[in-house]
Amino acid sequence: MRDVTFVLPPHSVLLVVGPNASGKTTLLRLLATALRPTDGGGSVFGHDLVRDADAVRVLTAFVGTSAGAYDLLTVRENLAFAAAMRGRPDAPVATWLDRVGLTPVADDPVRVLSSGMKRRLALAQAWLAAPRLLLLDEPYGGLDRDGVALVAEMTEDTTRRGGSVVIATHEWERVMSEADAVLALAAGQPVEVGPVAQLTAADLAAAAGGRR
Amino acid sequence: MTAQTGLGAVAVLLLGIAAYVSLFASPPDAFQGEYVRIMYAHVPNAWVAYLAFAITFAASVLYLWKRRPAYDHLAHSATELGVLFTGLALATGSIWGRPVWGTWWTWDARLVTTAMLFLIYTTALLVRGLSDDPLRGARLAAVIGIVGFLDVPIIHYSVVWFRTLHQPASIAPGSLKIAPPMLLALMLSLLAFTVLFMYLLRLRTSLARLEAGGEMR
Amino acid sequence: MNGFLRAAAVARKDLRVEWRGRQTITATGMVALLMILLLGFVVGSEPARAAAILWVAMGFAAVLGIPRVTQGEVDQQALETLLLYPGSREHLFWGKCAALTVMLSALLVALLVLLGVLFGVDVWDHGGALVGVGVLGIVGLSVIGTLLAALVLHVRGRELLMPLLLLPLALPVVLGCVRLTEAILTGTAAGLWPAVLVSFDVVSVLVCPILFEVVMDEV
Repeated sequence: MRDVTFVLPPHSVLLVVGPNASGKTTLLRLLATALRPTDGGGSVFGHDLVRDADAVRVLTAFVGTSAGAYDLLTVRENLAFAAAMRGRPDAPVATWLDRVGLTPVADDPVRVLSSGMKRRLALAQAWLAAPRLLLLDEPYGGLDRDGVALVAEMTEDTTRRGGSVVIATHEWERVMSEADAVLALAAGQPVEVGPVAQLTAADLAAAAGGRR
Repeated sequence: MTAQTGLGAVAVLLLGIAAYVSLFASPPDAFQGEYVRIMYAHVPNAWVAYLAFAITFAASVLYLWKRRPAYDHLAHSATELGVLFTGLALATGSIWGRPVWGTWWTWDARLVTTAMLFLIYTTALLVRGLSDDPLRGARLAAVIGIVGFLDVPIIHYSVVWFRTLHQPASIAPGSLKIAPPMLLALMLSLLAFTVLFMYLLRLRTSLARLEAGGEMR
Repeated sequence: MNGFLRAAAVARKDLRVEWRGRQTITATGMVALLMILLLGFVVGSEPARAAAILWVAMGFAAVLGIPRVTQGEVDQQALETLLLYPGSREHLFWGKCAALTVMLSALLVALLVLLGVLFGVDVWDHGGALVGVGVLGIVGLSVIGTLLAALVLHVRGRELLMPLLLLPLALPVVLGCVRLTEAILTGTAAGLWPAVLVSFDVVSVLVCPILFEVVMDEV
């Protein structure tokens, strides 16, 4: 990645688009403190990504392509574990399961879940942490229409509470209505940064597909 | 003449003197005959090896604390030299034991501990080499350097006590009383090998620094 | 953030996963059984050999079981998620170490029973002391083992490295447990061995958690 610079205010949603290997996941993982920048830096709500990484992690939740769940544990057990690890051992797990529509499978091992259900579990794990920065990397994989609505609900909930959301996705049409700004990446460099209003759907399609 | 070359010259000179005294000027042992002369190589080898690992420990702690590459170069070089001299100590110990005690290996506590040390630090070098990321390799090698060094005293005493409570202690090479002329030869050899080690350490560390100039940022 | 609760959550999670899958205990149990049978046959099954064979078998079982501590997370693609939770990584260390201690202790109990059967030693009367001594050693094994499990995670050839690292470093534990087990079975004095095990445990407990954080620094 090179020369990626932006400021994301609270209550806003940033859409990150770009072809494969353009650096979308890298960017999100940098913000999540899963990666360290080799040059430059960043801060999340005032906390430096490298020096204050733990403070950043308190405020941030990252939902990546893998569910980060244990196959042999039930959905409920996984969520309870995530809650305990987030310092919220008393979180109402049943309520959260209900919110993401996993109550019917709550006591099934994750092993038997479909990818969409696993994605819902991952979203629940992030959501119960009440993050102020929500990072979603290709969140729509395997989700049905209700699942997609869930992502929108989560996004809206986060911004309403004063947080911000960064969504990296190929399916930018889903995010168009919520996004405040767009960052288009190609080969690790930005090709377009700006408010959504300035970009047309054609621009976004071109950026997402990498045709310039 | 740079300081490094000067040091090298002193090392060679001291080695020459020590070799002369050990091999010719000092008397043979009443019991072991000429074979005692191997001690003048074996004991300094073992001493230098332990010194090298002490330096590895200190450099590793400093590296993990300050993260300056110079400390890593020092730790790496000291580990390599330590492994070399440990190998030499084991080899000379074996060569010494064969004619004097009739065996290639005596299961003496010190030898066993030295063998463990050899394995631990060789593995530290292996970990460095097998890591995809050189910085991570440096960190992991430093961790091994620290844990290994702290463990060695415990390993040593457990090995010593494991045998002594069941068998009489074997006569260890170092426990013999030493006559003054032989002591002089031993001290000279210790000094010579220590200076040699310092020279090699300096040499290897600067080499590491040059190598890293191309690799790491 | 309550570290104890996080560590307990990790321990509970590891043990639960192990209980449901029984992968580690099966593999380590079988290896230990094999070693005991092999050594018992080759070296002799006199009671005098029992302690030594037991702890050599435990050592090799540990070599095989310890990498699972971290490899299990990698297999589930859960390692990154685990490391991104806020809070000190020392909590992860203690949780995993506690779970490992429980698993190795369970293995020890099974092997002691086996010893009683195969070697004709009287483990039943001395059961408490044997397990007590064993756990003292297992704590040291687990503490250093958890650190090593993290250390070899990103190194190529990690299966080869684990025995090379664990066995020399944990040698005092094996030696101490052999002598103490013998002492219990024959009714002789324990000598300085409890001190050896305790000092190993103390040094490891002081040093390993800190080094674990260093090793797990990056995801």
